[in-house]
Amino acid sequence: MFRLDADKKVHFCDGVTRRDFLHAGALAMLGLTLPQFVDMKAMGAVDPKKDINCIQLMLVGGPSQLDTWDMKPDAPASIRGPYKPIKTNVSGIQISEIFPRMAKHADKFALVRSMYHTAAAVHDTGCQMMQTGRLFRGGLESPNYGSVLSKEKGPKGAIPTNVLLPYPIGQLGGNLPHGDTAGFLGKKYDPFVLNSDPSDPHFQVPDMLPPDYISALRVDRRRDWRKLIDQSVSYFETSQDAKLMDSTFSEAYTLMTSTKARAAFELNQEPEDVRKKYGMNRFGQGCLLARRLVENGVRFVTVNMFETVFNEITWDIHGSAPFSPISCMGNLVGPMFDNGFSSLLEDLSDRGLLDNTLVVATGEFGRTPRINPAGGRDHWPQCWTIVLAGGGIKGGQAVGSSDSIGAAPQDRPVQPSHIAATVYHALGIPIDLIIATPEGRQVRLVDHGFDPIMELFA
Amino acid sequence: MEILVRRGRSLFWILSGLMMLWGAIPLAAQSPSAAPYHDFDKPGKATRSSNPAQSLPPVQPVPAHATPSTSPLRGIKFLPSQVSLAIPLLNQRAVVEATYADGHVADVTSQAIVTSSNAAVAQPDKQGFVHPEGDGHAELMASFQGFRATAPVEVKNFTAPFEWSFRNHVLPVMTKMGCNSGPCHGAAAGKNGFKLTLRGFDPVTDYYTLTHQAIGRRTNRLEPAKSLILLKPTLTIPHGGGQRFPVGSPEYQVMSGWIAAGMPPPKPSDPRIVDLQVYPHEASLVPGALQQLVVMAKFSDGHSEDVTRWAKYDSGDEGVATVNGAGLVTMHGYGEAPVTVWYLSHVTFARMRIPYPYHIDEAVFQRALRHNYIDNYILAHLEQLHIPPSPPAGDAEFIRRAYLDGAGILPTPAEVKAFVKDKSPDKRDRLIDALMKRPEFADYWAYKWSDLLLVTSNRLSYPEMWSYYNWIRSSVAQDKPWDQFVRQIATASGNTLQNGAANYWVIHRNPIDISENMTEAFLGINITCAHCHNHPLAKWTQKDYYGMADLFARVRLKMGQPGGARPGIGPIFRDVTVYSGASGDYTDDRFSRPLPPKPLGAKALPINTTADLRAYFADWLTSPQNPFFARAIVNRVWKNFMGEGLVEPVDDMRDTNPPTNEALLNAMVKDFVAHHMDVNYLIRTIMQSAAYQTASKPTPENVVDNKYYSHYLIRRLPAEVMLDAFSQITQEPEHFDGYPLGTRALQLPDTAVKSYFLTAFGRPIREQSQESERSAVPTITQALHIINGGTLNNKLRAKGNVLDKLMKAGDSDTQIVTYLYLAAFSRYPSSAELTTLLGHLQVAEAQNVKGANNPRRAALSDLTWAMLTSREFMFDH
Repeated sequence: MFRLDADKKVHFCDGVTRRDFLHAGALAMLGLTLPQFVDMKAMGAVDPKKDINCIQLMLVGGPSQLDTWDMKPDAPASIRGPYKPIKTNVSGIQISEIFPRMAKHADKFALVRSMYHTAAAVHDTGCQMMQTGRLFRGGLESPNYGSVLSKEKGPKGAIPTNVLLPYPIGQLGGNLPHGDTAGFLGKKYDPFVLNSDPSDPHFQVPDMLPPDYISALRVDRRRDWRKLIDQSVSYFETSQDAKLMDSTFSEAYTLMTSTKARAAFELNQEPEDVRKKYGMNRFGQGCLLARRLVENGVRFVTVNMFETVFNEITWDIHGSAPFSPISCMGNLVGPMFDNGFSSLLEDLSDRGLLDNTLVVATGEFGRTPRINPAGGRDHWPQCWTIVLAGGGIKGGQAVGSSDSIGAAPQDRPVQPSHIAATVYHALGIPIDLIIATPEGRQVRLVDHGFDPIMELFA
Repeated sequence: MEILVRRGRSLFWILSGLMMLWGAIPLAAQSPSAAPYHDFDKPGKATRSSNPAQSLPPVQPVPAHATPSTSPLRGIKFLPSQVSLAIPLLNQRAVVEATYADGHVADVTSQAIVTSSNAAVAQPDKQGFVHPEGDGHAELMASFQGFRATAPVEVKNFTAPFEWSFRNHVLPVMTKMGCNSGPCHGAAAGKNGFKLTLRGFDPVTDYYTLTHQAIGRRTNRLEPAKSLILLKPTLTIPHGGGQRFPVGSPEYQVMSGWIAAGMPPPKPSDPRIVDLQVYPHEASLVPGALQQLVVMAKFSDGHSEDVTRWAKYDSGDEGVATVNGAGLVTMHGYGEAPVTVWYLSHVTFARMRIPYPYHIDEAVFQRALRHNYIDNYILAHLEQLHIPPSPPAGDAEFIRRAYLDGAGILPTPAEVKAFVKDKSPDKRDRLIDALMKRPEFADYWAYKWSDLLLVTSNRLSYPEMWSYYNWIRSSVAQDKPWDQFVRQIATASGNTLQNGAANYWVIHRNPIDISENMTEAFLGINITCAHCHNHPLAKWTQKDYYGMADLFARVRLKMGQPGGARPGIGPIFRDVTVYSGASGDYTDDRFSRPLPPKPLGAKALPINTTADLRAYFADWLTSPQNPFFARAIVNRVWKNFMGEGLVEPVDDMRDTNPPTNEALLNAMVKDFVAHHMDVNYLIRTIMQSAAYQTASKPTPENVVDNKYYSHYLIRRLPAEVMLDAFSQITQEPEHFDGYPLGTRALQLPDTAVKSYFLTAFGRPIREQSQESERSAVPTITQALHIINGGTLNNKLRAKGNVLDKLMKAGDSDTQIVTYLYLAAFSRYPSSAELTTLLGHLQVAEAQNVKGANNPRRAALSDLTWAMLTSREFMFDH
């Protein structure tokens, strides 16, 4: 059942097997039509107005603004590209035909069509800035939004506060950090990294459960004996790392033994049609998993759509190997996003979770307005579009605009730091919070002069 | 992908905010602060905070020092010892410092009676300032509780014309007020259209900005008070940065005086600062004490100025001492804090201390073991701080620690037994010598230097990687002196397969990258800040930075055959030849021409020199006179054994980051140099010291200490060491793809070898020569992997592992538990431990756990698991 890859040839004769870890969870989940959020609300643990979660969808590779959410149908063919705009359910807002489902939810999301950044036009810098609000300099690695949220608000129950899935962003060519860690806040606030593929038929969180041959009785026995043996060095309590190790073990046990927390990661609890609706691919299943995690107490989820831009079909449509052709937007990457994102909005909305869950979908830059000789588009941080929904965002609007060919912001130019301010504002964290780095530098959460984009909020 | 940003750190560097000190803050000590944003220039939160008095453990406290009333006064003196007033309008502080019999001092300026022998020359005021009144000599006299002190006073140039210097007065005021700091107008993009150079590193540009830009509105020489640079910071008109100083303040007077004088520009003939002194340089005080610092700047024309008001201050440990903008220190908790003083480009620090409130019998320090000179320095410092050392570590504790720190392995049960049984007095020294001859010792240090030198197949072809690694390992095995080792790298030429050291030049290919890595790896200095602006925390300027880079502009590579490609790196080559070209310079856009090649702080070569630049650099780099070279390696090796560098982080050595025990570091550097930079000698000296051989268990009085080495600091085993120990104890080797079974993790030349365990436990990726690449921080992922994952569980389950062998040999549970204790903890179990565990085993072995065929085997596996995941195993202690 749950673990398709588990060794089937094991005996369960002591009556207490790892299956005990599973059953309680499975049974509980059968009746759990309304997500746990409701339980938590009942317990007073969650104030939906103040307790905002966030799902950040990292569209690694950099979606072309001209082929997605900022179409220029009147521009010459060498600029407007192969795709046509379609109407959405909000008059005045058109998006690309590659997103037919998304077009039905334009009332739920807002577009910012005047994003730009001024750092080097490599993937890494944009990833850094879009996930932390800052370019890393002076040896200062700014924290991921989720890490700040973890530090400021703490966990909700047995589940980690900040989860990154499926894998950290890997090699994008620049060999710079990507802004997905706690940086100077300290590793305690690093996200819990899933490190496995939710679309894998054998998907599981690594090491979440003991191997089949270790029964619950043995797990308990080991845990007890470990404590017993530890008593000989009780003075280790004076060491921060020894204490942190103890707490990581107890958090691991909490995660293992909390059927609710663990069930949050069990995608096969979802009906087949729901899974299919999201798309049976890594991103789609990642979006579904993100929804389940938020329902079960995770405050911040990062979903990396891709981990690399090399030898994989991604948004990085240079048009030549090892990168992607522009056609992939229509036949692969576009539909992948359309299904994952639209299903996520639908589910969050249907379950009453959209109001307290901010969804941010962003690439690290845009693409060159002019189609290159290889038929693709190259990097263009001078202008691109991002999508925001939920968490107080007023849908059905486009903030800012670009010029006639999508080459530069025309009004309301927006930089990554403005997005950081907007995200923190939505999450209820003051943007002028001062945080001391381990070296004692005092750093403002968002640089002075960058304010939230207030018109985005209802 | 049109552009590839080079590996490592970003190219864009601005340091915001403050200069700060010391090393990593313990996680729990971090806390957000809700200060308003314009408080960025306040000294930072305490780092590595010492425990304030209230959190001390319950031991019987006695006052740190007897109070002034109970400890007899021994004398008073002036700080500084003379007053020299050579600039009209400028005063000098004269602090009256009292010394008491128990060694503490107190600032008694406000209670002392201070008079001048000649009121026509100089007059003291009640606030502790001496004012010039006319040219001449006088004597300043103080009396306090029957003690007297005098100081000579000299006043010159009293009637000479005077103007404020843009370079030496106006810019320091703006720096002090934070105008040109990173978060304000010193930002790379400036602030609201007004951009100054960071901390005023470029006076000429700043002068132009202030006097010519913005249609001259920033400075109004006809009506100085209407200058924007006065209206804004005084908040006369709105200012995003709030009020920086009020109208009429000394800051205001300097700025308005300079504007009114017609804004004299910075001149090449301006006197330059040559020295900065702080008084007192070191002081032992009582809790609650206030101590005024006096900061004197000496200039190239010979005159000195009291710059106390214009210097910037920062406490390295605000739990011990805080300092305000006027240089007034307030003492709080027990311990020692360096207070850094920054003025113009110079840095110095005062060491302010409150001894811990314990009465430690002198005999404790007299009786404490002293194996070599290291112990004298450690004990002297501990005695000053009233921190007693822990007792010596037992044999079992010592052997485990020595093996782990020296060679990355655990002693076998047989080795532990033999060592414990050995009664000879020199057995520890003999163990150290024997350990250093083992191949695992060479493996361990070769691995360590491979971390530093970034050996990885991500950047080198496999044959080249092996060539590089083998060169490192054989250098370690033959105990090559450090200067020779580094010199061979710095001057390496030839084919990379024949000369392994030459691969350094394949990994680092452009002058900027080479220059940054050389300073980081071998000097422990990070100069990257100076890529874009003068280093805000150290004295390095952009000229230093680009002059250094030019030393490497003539290195050439002749690429051999293609060796494949690596993602993000591009093609790599085999059979590369490294050689020096006859000419060539590095020119950065910001300088129109190349700068003469010049090592940091050393003499430059002429720009058109034909000398071998790398040889010149290597001579300077590895010279015993190089103040950084030996210091960096001594600090790194010290940290390996002691858990905490004398300077932390080890790769951020600079004046603003002073060592916790400067005298010790100096002595060790001297000793190391005197022994021809023999790393094994250094290792032996540290391992032989009583300080290294101290118990890890703190005493109630030294539990507060995590940086003065009163007890051994425990730390989590490094990833590779832990994995090897699992393999060693279970007798189940780990399999690494492409390497023969039985290869230990510490024998891998390459950190690109796939291993979930090693990655999860913090193995460095070898992208940057920085200690922070390696992590020993526990995570949930690690815990889950240890509890449920394959690495340890498979070894415990494997057929024919250590448990199967012991059971097959017919060992009893008692024998097996004893064996496991010796193997994992390097000690015998206590009889209580044995009894308890045997009791549990007995119950467990009778339990029907049929997930496994043999209940005894399952129970013993579980016990082994519990031992190998316990703190006593996972930590080096």
